[in-house]
Amino acid sequence: MIKLIHLTKIYKGLRAVDDLNLEVKEGTLFGFLGPNGAGKTTTIKMMAGVLKPTSGRIIIHGMDLAEEPEKVKKCVGFIPDRPYLYEKLTGLEFLNFIAGLYGMDHAPSVRSQIQDLLDRFDLTHWRDELIESYSHGMKQRLVMCSALLPRPKVLIVDEPMVGLDPRGARLVKDIFLEESRKNTTLFMSTHSLEVAAEVCREIAIIQAGKVIAQGSSEELKRIAGVDGSLENVFLKLTEGKRIAHGTPLSAS
Amino acid sequence: MGRLYLLLSPRILGFRNSLSAATGKARKRAMIMVLAGFGFWAILFGLCFRVLRYFQSVEVIGDLLAHHLLGMILMVFFSLLIFSHIITALSNLYLSSDLELCHASPVPLEEVFLSRTLHTVMDSSWMVIVFGLPLMMAYAAVFKPGLGFYVSLLHMGLGVVLIAGGIGILVTMILVRLFPAQRTRDVTMLLGVFGLGALYLLFRLLRPERLVDPDAFFSIAQYMAALKGPDSPYLPTHWMTETLWAYLSGSSRKGLWFQSALLWSTAAAIAVINVWVAQAIYFSGFSRSQEAKRRRAGKGLLDFFVGGIKRPFRSEVAAIIDKDLRAFFRDNTQWSQLLLLGALIVVYLYNFSVLPLDKSPMRIDFLQNEIAFLNVGLAGFVVSAVSVRFIFPAVSSEGQAFWILRSSPVSLKRFLWTKFALYLAPMILLGEVLILLTNHLLEVTPFMMALSSCTMALAVFGIVALGVGMGAMYPNFNHQNIAQVATGFGGLLFMILSAAFVAVIVVLEAGPVYVLVMADLRGVPVAKWQWAFIGLSFCAVLFIIAAAVYQPMKLGLKALSQYE
Repeated sequence: MIKLIHLTKIYKGLRAVDDLNLEVKEGTLFGFLGPNGAGKTTTIKMMAGVLKPTSGRIIIHGMDLAEEPEKVKKCVGFIPDRPYLYEKLTGLEFLNFIAGLYGMDHAPSVRSQIQDLLDRFDLTHWRDELIESYSHGMKQRLVMCSALLPRPKVLIVDEPMVGLDPRGARLVKDIFLEESRKNTTLFMSTHSLEVAAEVCREIAIIQAGKVIAQGSSEELKRIAGVDGSLENVFLKLTEGKRIAHGTPLSAS
Repeated sequence: MGRLYLLLSPRILGFRNSLSAATGKARKRAMIMVLAGFGFWAILFGLCFRVLRYFQSVEVIGDLLAHHLLGMILMVFFSLLIFSHIITALSNLYLSSDLELCHASPVPLEEVFLSRTLHTVMDSSWMVIVFGLPLMMAYAAVFKPGLGFYVSLLHMGLGVVLIAGGIGILVTMILVRLFPAQRTRDVTMLLGVFGLGALYLLFRLLRPERLVDPDAFFSIAQYMAALKGPDSPYLPTHWMTETLWAYLSGSSRKGLWFQSALLWSTAAAIAVINVWVAQAIYFSGFSRSQEAKRRRAGKGLLDFFVGGIKRPFRSEVAAIIDKDLRAFFRDNTQWSQLLLLGALIVVYLYNFSVLPLDKSPMRIDFLQNEIAFLNVGLAGFVVSAVSVRFIFPAVSSEGQAFWILRSSPVSLKRFLWTKFALYLAPMILLGEVLILLTNHLLEVTPFMMALSSCTMALAVFGIVALGVGMGAMYPNFNHQNIAQVATGFGGLLFMILSAAFVAVIVVLEAGPVYVLVMADLRGVPVAKWQWAFIGLSFCAVLFIIAAAVYQPMKLGLKALSQYE
């Protein structure tokens, strides 16, 4: 479903993503972990078509993002880490706008679909308020509504739990699991090892722009040679290595 | 004092770091901006110098005019400074993102307030240096005063800035006490735009050009009454005007120290009052500005209007148009500018209605047609100026939400052409209103009416494409205020290129128009070679317009697709 082939991104001489190769199967809930500055957000932005790779290919749903960007984006939903939105639109108008961009505004079911999403994310009472009066968490939930609205086959998510209260976080985890059961592929970057351990079927750990380990939680424990939590695995795998800007990580 | 410097240091260090981190490209841009700034200064200085020289040549009333002009200039600056401080204080004292850090730190409230006051004074008063210095230097060049003029200009200028700043900040604190900060900004901008539009109209309709033509008045008493400006001995600008004029005119300097003492004691008193008021109400206002307010969206008429406009377009184009129109009409700082545009059009047409064509030694019919033709250039410049404010920032108006379009299945090409389509119709309307109504006032021939109207319509295609394309080449998605986007390097470059584009069209059409108008007036046929020349010129115009549409859009698309 998702293939990253020799993906590289260089910013002013800095290799943020370095010859990255990854494959994620259909319906997988894939966790993308790594320390700060490892290249997670850069990779995700390239996959969402927001950033152009320096070299390499991104294949999603059998299509090359560079060759058929519009077709690929039509089957991808993107949730960025920071929910920048059009502040002068209402929540409902924003979702109508998204429906228009995906060419689904004339579909008879779109109104009920939008209403379902607003109900699910507890935004119905705020649907006619300007987004500028929403809290961070509400904006984050609205972004999730917009990403799910076109019924994407692939959902790319960057740090989904930032700014969400425990109820919101639970809701999001449930929705991700539900989408995965519907065979939607989820590619999720997160700092929260607890979230990754709870919902991800497969995890890749990235450091200095390269994948240093990939597999299920159990497989990662085997690779690291440690027992216990995913946190121990993460710390063991990333210890002593250098992050992208060349500062050694302290091994704790 | 040490803590006050500490609070100011992020701004100072940030400025220093941005200078040292500037790349070659950024330095070149800064250099061009500085050169353009000097060019602007030179023009302003030259204009003021000529006006003052002319005043000097007018006996009896010349000095009186120069004196009144000085008072008016200082009065206008003082009013603008107060308004500018109100707007800037809202950001610096209530809405800046770093304020939370300042208020959370163990620094007394008075020091936070004073540091933000200094930020506000610095941010708001630079325009006095940009616009005021060349005017004052023109006075100095014409009247050749002594050193006292410069010393007074410096210290009294600073005093006036501090008084205006103090008043502006005081008004802001009171307004935020009454309304939330975000709403205060909208209300102030709206009132400011209304006020500015009304002042502009009033000033023009008073026909200030008559002041240099005393013959137009029935009596000297009437003339003197017309000269009286809005002055009062209680105003700080009056104290500064009288002091500077004493040096400029070489009259008695007795009692000037009193004017200085008045000015500085007022500045000190306002500073103290501001600190007292800040102790009482600043923090509660800041706290209130952090509270989110539910804001219901205006609907009804807007739904009807937006629905009608987007109807002919396909889904994704209609979605972008819908979003842009709603955002525009809900942003008070945006739609209110249309009021200024309305005032601009009224004054533009009024200027043509009072043109003294009958006083010209040339044939009126020739003059009418020539002016109508040159008006294409003038209207083109007006369209360019409006475009730099509304069309150049069109791409940047996506702001940090640009990721939504980038990750959507809408291509950047379609996005850019949607912006082009959205702005084309209103700009053609503006251009045609200016052309057709002025042509009507000038009573031009049908040929000139058709030619100028077609030229304007086609030129607007080029100006709009140039605006959208260059806006994509120089985007600023991290702006705090969309009006700032036009004031950067890209905006300046757009203005230069757009003006050059209009000028080239006018120059290329000037020859054929002259041939055709003269042949019509003299009643002689146009020769074959002249037709060839006319055809060639119009083909060149069409080619340039096509290039002005295609090339900027292509370059804009390329730049935007590489934007990171």
